[in-house]
Amino acid sequence: MEQIGYIGSQPNLDAIFAALADPTRRAILSRLLDGQASVNEIAAPFEISQPAVSRHLKVLERAGLIERDIDQQRRPAKLKAQKMAAAVDWLTEFKAFWETSFDQLDNVLFNMKQTDKKETNND
Amino acid sequence: MTELPEYKLDRIFDAPRELVWRAWTDPDVLQRWYGPGAETIIHKFDLEPGGMWLNEMKWGGNSNFQKVVFQEVAPPAMLVWHHYSSTDAEWNSMTNPMMADWPRLLLTTVIFEEMGNKTNVRLSQIPMEATEAEVACFAETMANMDSGWGSGYAILDKLFAEQQTKGEMS
Repeated sequence: MEQIGYIGSQPNLDAIFAALADPTRRAILSRLLDGQASVNEIAAPFEISQPAVSRHLKVLERAGLIERDIDQQRRPAKLKAQKMAAAVDWLTEFKAFWETSFDQLDNVLFNMKQTDKKETNND
Repeated sequence: MTELPEYKLDRIFDAPRELVWRAWTDPDVLQRWYGPGAETIIHKFDLEPGGMWLNEMKWGGNSNFQKVVFQEVAPPAMLVWHHYSSTDAEWNSMTNPMMADWPRLLLTTVIFEEMGNKTNVRLSQIPMEATEAEVACFAETMANMDSGWGSGYAILDKLFAEQQTKGEMS
């Protein structure tokens, strides 16, 4: 099946973040952490219909966050955690790069000031 | 649509400007803080217009290479450089292995503003010589960063943590 959320193996961040923006879909992803599940099994704890669950699953599938077994009648959905992790990692990585580096720079500057003070006192 | 997306980060450091400048321009100090949680190795550092900063960051068993070409060096007030976000081990610019449409080249400006005994560091990155796809990818990342994705990340962190605990990382 064509994965609209992905061009080759490249995550499409728009599709992924749109998919994750919905609380029901995040709850479905949480449920899938416990292992693969059919639409019936996923729908059980939610107050929504099976067609509604199917629609949510389609969005998640198009974003490349889950895959569904086509060989089985019940088409269980399964989390594709690594692809999801890759997309989120990328965003967090860029955001964290400078911010965490700046935190580290804070510490380095603090130590430099201590060293300078000691050297001044030793003169 | 001529305006390019920009990454901006301002931070006030509790240190005089000369000291902050030294932390950015002395490679022995720079490699102690540049690159979050990485072992940073600076292979070359020529602080002059046209000079290069060749930077390797080691995470786990992997190395990530970046090349910087300084454009303006104005101590202790401003640094401007061309930032090749990903290079191979021979320092040739390449596509980002994690995100194909990430801009290969970012125009980076760092301004050091004196504020008494403190220093305001103003960092800016703008895509350079970028394709439409690169500009779009950068703009999208900036938009997601600004739109409160913190809570989204927190949920995902929890998801991944739970999954790793279960040892089910597929």
